[in-house]
Amino acid sequence: MTTLTSKPVSAPGKSIIEKLNFFTALALGAISAIVVWRLALQFLPQDAEEARLFSREDKITLLSMVAWFIGFMTGIGALVGPFRWLMGKDLSHDENMFLAGKDMGVKRYFRYTTDHKVVGIQYLVTTMAMFGIGGILAMLIRTNLGTPEGGWIHPQAYNSIVGTHGIIMIVATIIMVTGPFGNFIVPIMIGARDMAFPRLNALSFWLIVAAAVPLIWGQFIGGISTGWTAYNPLAGQAPLGMDGYIMFICIFAISTMVAGANITTTVVRMRAKGMTWNRTPIFIYGVVASVVLALPAFPVFFLSQIMSAMDRALDTSFYNTAGGGSGWLYENLFWIMGHPEVYVILIPAVAALMEMAPVFTRRPLFSFNVAVMGIAGISGLSALVWAHHMYMSGWAPLLNTPFMLTTELISIPTGMLFLVLVGTLWRGRLWMTMPALSIFALLWNFMIGGITGIYLSDVPADAFLHGSMYVTAHFHYTLMGAGLTGALAALVYWFPAMTGRMFDKRLSWVAFWMVQIGFNIAFVGMFAVGLAGQPRRVESFAPTFNTGNMITTAGAYLVMSGMLVLLYGVISSWKSGIKAPKNPWQAKTLEWTVGYPIPLENFDVLPVVTSDAYGYGKAKP
Amino acid sequence: MSDVMTPKAPQWWKKPDVKKTAILWVICTAVIGFVGVEFHVRNMVRPASETMSGVISLMRIFTWAAAPVAGLVGAICLTALTSKRHYGDNPPPESDHQISNSPRTNAVWIVVSALLCLFALVGGFIVIQKDSAALLDKNAIQVNVTGQQWLWSFDYENGARSEDLYLPVDKPAVFHITSVDVKHSFWVVQMGIKMDANPGYTTDAAVTPNKIGVFDVRCAELCGLLHAYMQTKVHVVSQADYEAWLSNHAAIEKGA
Repeated sequence: MTTLTSKPVSAPGKSIIEKLNFFTALALGAISAIVVWRLALQFLPQDAEEARLFSREDKITLLSMVAWFIGFMTGIGALVGPFRWLMGKDLSHDENMFLAGKDMGVKRYFRYTTDHKVVGIQYLVTTMAMFGIGGILAMLIRTNLGTPEGGWIHPQAYNSIVGTHGIIMIVATIIMVTGPFGNFIVPIMIGARDMAFPRLNALSFWLIVAAAVPLIWGQFIGGISTGWTAYNPLAGQAPLGMDGYIMFICIFAISTMVAGANITTTVVRMRAKGMTWNRTPIFIYGVVASVVLALPAFPVFFLSQIMSAMDRALDTSFYNTAGGGSGWLYENLFWIMGHPEVYVILIPAVAALMEMAPVFTRRPLFSFNVAVMGIAGISGLSALVWAHHMYMSGWAPLLNTPFMLTTELISIPTGMLFLVLVGTLWRGRLWMTMPALSIFALLWNFMIGGITGIYLSDVPADAFLHGSMYVTAHFHYTLMGAGLTGALAALVYWFPAMTGRMFDKRLSWVAFWMVQIGFNIAFVGMFAVGLAGQPRRVESFAPTFNTGNMITTAGAYLVMSGMLVLLYGVISSWKSGIKAPKNPWQAKTLEWTVGYPIPLENFDVLPVVTSDAYGYGKAKP
Repeated sequence: MSDVMTPKAPQWWKKPDVKKTAILWVICTAVIGFVGVEFHVRNMVRPASETMSGVISLMRIFTWAAAPVAGLVGAICLTALTSKRHYGDNPPPESDHQISNSPRTNAVWIVVSALLCLFALVGGFIVIQKDSAALLDKNAIQVNVTGQQWLWSFDYENGARSEDLYLPVDKPAVFHITSVDVKHSFWVVQMGIKMDANPGYTTDAAVTPNKIGVFDVRCAELCGLLHAYMQTKVHVVSQADYEAWLSNHAAIEKGA
């Protein structure tokens, strides 16, 4: 809020921040992009003879996208605060209240609102929209592969659909827990009034919106035909859509860094009085581990894409062998981000279910310390395993053995997470709800994903399996089967806290079973065709793979139907669900103590914590 | 594992939950091991080299090694799911036990998973050693493999060049793999070997085919528009047939 040294501005009439919203941002972004595009078209010199493909067009596209980005962020109001501060002023109390979204109703969801609860809802809706788009693309892929001997989609379009599906789903799964629940639930769970840096919180969300547009834009200028990995030199020869990918990643990486710094600071500095690390709920550990892992990982991703952009637009040769670079450099940078990133996705989802396990078994979390060690162990090791994605790249065959070592070691802390979950289930009194069932679904799916991961981590087996559909099925089992299952359970579990209404019980069950059954049908079929030798990312295949692919497609349709049921459940429960009692699950964490609607600053009096949140069960006589 | 849950009970193994879990553990382990192995072995391609047979037996061993762990998790889940279920809008009464830790269980679990991990590692190391030794075989046939969008070409020692790969049976072959444009991945499916083709670099892979027949080469790294169609055949023939084909093919090449 206002500091002592800076004078609040006395704003006669409407302050500038009250005029800015999502629509001014769209307008300013679009205008900037068009102006810069026109200027670049006019003034950029023609390519030299020796330039590789597209160089001038790449410059124009990238410049317009940067202009869009700056225009959008200005238009949403991200620069008002820093600019005022530069002028030696600060926002007035009224303006800060306005930014927090006080008394603004629905409008605050379309503004640069700093209230963490608003940001959480914004993230939730955005994540759902991303899953919607990614899901439609998945259905296009499966429909194309469901017909014998390939499909009706042009290979170029097909490749682009595969790449876009991949990157959208990766980003959606990265934010699916730490975005909605990390922002909405975490501050209340630790007994804080807001995040440590509320404006950074708004910034991290609006950066994602700003990032989405280049990705969509890219679809109309050639698409992302390289798969989500965008390996060079293939990305170097890909059409202009690749620039959309590059901009998308760069902006998203900034968002992740901002959010990571914010959530970490919040949890380290702002836990309620008495909430020692031993009393901090396990979900908090999961979220922090996730964002802390992302903190070093995403700058690397950012840089890898900047270098990719320079190779395309400025004819540098970071990744171009002919000019002295190497595609292996890209692969290393990509997977230094890419492997921690799968745990960025997985850990908070598993931690969310670990948070729910005591609630739905009415007994304490089994071995909290092992859970923390498991999360810490996975986080630490995950930074050292990246080259297992490169066993067969020929980059450094001698390093395969040490990377196999670190990769297989990760099964030990992962096993700890299993121990905590089954230990909590043991002799609990099971309360059969969708989140409770999700614990079993997670154990089932994660077990399959984990064991197939051990096969893949084994270099000789990977020589056969790498790059096949088996890999695709494996990581869908971990990211979707385990990760998304946790996120959906979190949605149903925290729905009452976020919306004040219960998630429709019947719909949650129906959706759960449809998604889980469909998912397992789909990806068991995919394992089968992978073992039989079908490579990934092919739009056509030999007739021997017909049956497996048809099974997968059928399963995928069932998943889609289940997801539609879930979507209907979200909308109908949000609009007209049963009003939730104050603490519907009778849980012991702080987010259930504030009631609904949650006041702007969460707590009238900040809570004091005297025990951990898992004091269930009757003490032994 | 379940002993430590009730450390003070004199005969913990006689508790109904424990007995139920133990029986389920045996059943689950057997089912998971059997189904897992059958699923993998039945779906996998028929091996055409020692390497591929090695991969298949490795999967068999790993699956059986993982089955008891998966079986235990499954057994505990089934025990939980089949006892003390509670439906309804209000929570069930608190559970009878307030056990929040059991150092002994943790220790056993961690030690066992470390041993399994070690077992998997040693298995992998042994096979890696064998496979990398093959690269140094002096008697091996040397073939240069070149990937380009979207076909493979093969150059033999006597100057012959082909788009289908020909190999003699039971003789080690070493491939020197490169690419002229983007990354590809040279995958001889039934022989269980794979190596990326990188522009500007040469990478090596080795295999000894042990079956006469026609097998598949597929590209396993997305390489652009027609990636799906970047495949060819490998013909494994007898030594005599191979030599005949080679000299014949080289002659055609020179004539052309």
